[in-house]
Amino acid sequence: MLSYRSILGSRGTRADEQVLYDLRIRELVSEVLGRERDELLWNLFLEPVDSVDVAVYRLNVFRDMMREDIYAVVDEFVERIREARDYLEMEKDAYEPHKLGLHLDAALTYIDALEKFYSKLSSLGVESEGLKSFLRYVEGIIQSQSFKAMKESALEAKRARDRIRIRVRIAGDRIHVWRFDRGEDMAKMIEELFARFRGGEMREVRYIPVGSGLSHIHAAILEGAFKFFKSEYEAMKRFYEGFPKIVDDGVASFVREVRFYLLYIKFMKSLMNQGYRFVIPKFTNDGRIDVRGFYSVLLTKKGRVVPNDIFTDGSKRIFVVTGMNGGGKTTFATSFGQVAYLAKLGVPVPAENAELLFFTKVMTAYPVREDPRESLSRLEQDVVRAVNIMRRADSSTIVIANELFSTTTSDEGYQLARIFLEELSRRRSYGVFVTFIPGVASLDFVISLVAQPSPEDPAKPSYKILPGSPPSEYMAVRIASRYGLTYRDLRERIR
Amino acid sequence: MIEFDLLKLGSGQRIGIADDIRADLELDKIVGVASGGDKLIAETWLEVLLARECSEEVVRYRQEAVKDVLENSSTVLKMYQIAKEGYETAYKEVFIFRLDNPSFVVYEVSKGIGILADYLEKLLDVLSNAKFLSRAFRSLVDSLTLNIDKTFIAKAKEISEIFRFGSGVEFAVEIGSLNSLVNPVLLLPREENSIVSRLLLLERRYTYRLDPRDEAGARILEDISNWVLSKIATTLLNAFDKLMNFFRDLAKQLSFYVGAINLSDFLDKLGIPKTYPDTDSKKLVFENLYPLSLAVSSMKKPVPSSLDVDVDGSFAVIVTGVNKGGKTTFLKSVGQALLLARAGLFVPAERFVMPSTGAVLTHFLREEERTFSYGKFEEEVKRFRTTVENLRRGDYVLMDESFASTNHVEASVVAENVVSALLDSGVNVFYITFLQDFLYRFVSKNSRRVVLLVPERLSDGTRTYRLIKGSIQPGYALELWRKIAEAPS
Repeated sequence: MLSYRSILGSRGTRADEQVLYDLRIRELVSEVLGRERDELLWNLFLEPVDSVDVAVYRLNVFRDMMREDIYAVVDEFVERIREARDYLEMEKDAYEPHKLGLHLDAALTYIDALEKFYSKLSSLGVESEGLKSFLRYVEGIIQSQSFKAMKESALEAKRARDRIRIRVRIAGDRIHVWRFDRGEDMAKMIEELFARFRGGEMREVRYIPVGSGLSHIHAAILEGAFKFFKSEYEAMKRFYEGFPKIVDDGVASFVREVRFYLLYIKFMKSLMNQGYRFVIPKFTNDGRIDVRGFYSVLLTKKGRVVPNDIFTDGSKRIFVVTGMNGGGKTTFATSFGQVAYLAKLGVPVPAENAELLFFTKVMTAYPVREDPRESLSRLEQDVVRAVNIMRRADSSTIVIANELFSTTTSDEGYQLARIFLEELSRRRSYGVFVTFIPGVASLDFVISLVAQPSPEDPAKPSYKILPGSPPSEYMAVRIASRYGLTYRDLRERIR
Repeated sequence: MIEFDLLKLGSGQRIGIADDIRADLELDKIVGVASGGDKLIAETWLEVLLARECSEEVVRYRQEAVKDVLENSSTVLKMYQIAKEGYETAYKEVFIFRLDNPSFVVYEVSKGIGILADYLEKLLDVLSNAKFLSRAFRSLVDSLTLNIDKTFIAKAKEISEIFRFGSGVEFAVEIGSLNSLVNPVLLLPREENSIVSRLLLLERRYTYRLDPRDEAGARILEDISNWVLSKIATTLLNAFDKLMNFFRDLAKQLSFYVGAINLSDFLDKLGIPKTYPDTDSKKLVFENLYPLSLAVSSMKKPVPSSLDVDVDGSFAVIVTGVNKGGKTTFLKSVGQALLLARAGLFVPAERFVMPSTGAVLTHFLREEERTFSYGKFEEEVKRFRTTVENLRRGDYVLMDESFASTNHVEASVVAENVVSALLDSGVNVFYITFLQDFLYRFVSKNSRRVVLLVPERLSDGTRTYRLIKGSIQPGYALELWRKIAEAPS
């Protein structure tokens, strides 16, 4: 028999804590996983993969699973296998007559789940190596002698159980059990008697049993039943003793791991239903980045999010983002960082189209909160981080930096930024650098992006970040002019 | 299946502006007399009087039944009392405040079935002496005696006893997934009286006895009993609900006729005549029609009115003239009579012929609309719009000073447009108005289809509170002017 090959390809490497924090990855993952606390799943989303092959392997699985029909089949399979395993878990503490049933139903559920999964998925034409190889694995199980024997014995036990019908009388503290022979159905009799009257609105008496149905009393009734149905009992017992192990280990691993895909797709769908897009990223190898319509997943909860584009043919690799206050510069940088990160997990990214490198390293430098216990000043810390980044950066690194060097004069800040970015550029690294210092945008090796004001009201942001030069006229000046505080107005007024 | 329909209400849909009509035509006074304080009668009467739909056939069907009822009033009163009391007693005695406790529901509902079976027995007894002739009441009696007999009543009582006084539950059950018990079927308890069968049962059964200290086990037994009873509880509840529906329907349908008995007694007492209306698409005729709500509030025989209009598709009766001349009373009495007529009842007149069984809608000026203001006018127009939305060909619109919330010149134009449109659409209009431009233009233009009524004044100036046909006198005012101006001082 084949051995199981992980649907995840292989595990990645835990991302740097600082990067997870700066790019708000934990917040993002908790959006994806919701209340799910499975440690494996959490770890998977914090471990970007190390090779482009693994990322592509996963993305191919996604391409299959994003098809509604395939998703439904896998999702149902996972649910059914979990159900079977729940029964086996319950079996441990159950009374003997119930053990027989729980074990049998675990097997029946498992067998049915496996067979349905195989027949449905085979007809859907999966293309990813991941699902194809698991399908071959399942085929191997289904065709094995042991599986066939288990199925046969389980079905025989079930047929036996279905034959059992008893008559029970509960009166006072006694329960009597007989083999059922005949008796008049009271409900039917009453229905027939009152059929002559017109029916109105039906009211239903609902009763939800308080107990589990697996109590010692239920067990006692089963004992009674088995007294009258001996051969049926034997058939169930035979199955129970003959097939102690039900769920294959490989299947169990698949069910656990494939939820990485299921949960992410569920998360994507919830956003796609609101009109947002997700796309499977393509990895370039000519230095080009072309990501269109990417957006911040975390902001979608707060209202309509404005998507943005980022492009370079690979010759210039440093983006400098300037422009008005509150214009979406940080969001732009962070969400692009998230796109790069998610692509490295091998999952679809929140964008309309995404062509980018498989970055070997994603690094960040966001402003640190001033900590009085920290011996270094904030400027010092900025410089330390910048230098660390600079040393490790190479041509497949992306650096996301936000308002670095802002705790000094803008002339000095400009100088530091120039040095830092020149070095990154020299190493052919990629960078997104958010700054208030307009001079940085004029460096000849950078691509200048500017946060644009709203066309209707120039005092408000449009959240669009577009290529261009930093504005010659500042928002504060424009607002002042509306109140006649311009040179000419003042001159004319003060005559 | 028990089938009966004494009212033929159809969908029973109320007319859109029912509340306005009820107030404008003082229906509560009439309903008060018919119901004598019985809520159910009042409810049914309002429902029938304010129903949107009504056909000539239904009117005849009910007229026939009303005549039958007045002949057999003591039987109808007894039936009504049994139906109502049965329903109310069961309603009082049976507590079903929660649907999640099957053994409780089973007990309560069985009690209810027992009570209602007793009332069915009484009803059967009354019916055995009934001598109805109308289609409505004949088919009621036939359906009841065909479907409810002594055997049925005995069985219903037996079921009630089993569940109230029986002990324990006995059921068939299967084993399903997880070896849980499934598909419980409650069984009729086996006769265990004979010694032979008792011995047989003992021999082949398995018995489990609960340890007296096993409190959890006792709770589980109760849990299982409730589970087994949940289906039968639904079935019994449904049976009980069906019986209750039957009693409620019967009481409700009878209540209309009990109201007719009461109203008839009232008219007889005041010496007001009753007549069963006819329909004739070419005519609107009434002779000595008594204003009913006025009779109720004054407890005397009021002044009746008469009218004879030839109808060509539709008609308009325009009423004008001095105040306190009985115009509004007239309008109300016509509206009330039309409503009683289309309900299949008698009307307080010597003769009543109407051109259709269309619905009756009202648009009466509200006191607060009596001042000129465009805001008020807008509200009034909005309200009229609602009235119009409910109108169909053959209906009657009763308008009392509509469009008086703006000056008469522009109001006349609106009124002319509106009333002409209604008339041309086959709607019959009664309109009290003082709008002079409207009166002149509308009456002269539509003389063939319009009747103008004015309060009668005798030559000595006495008011009679009757309306008589009047006519438009063009140039009257000028003439009057000239007359007064040229008169020697």
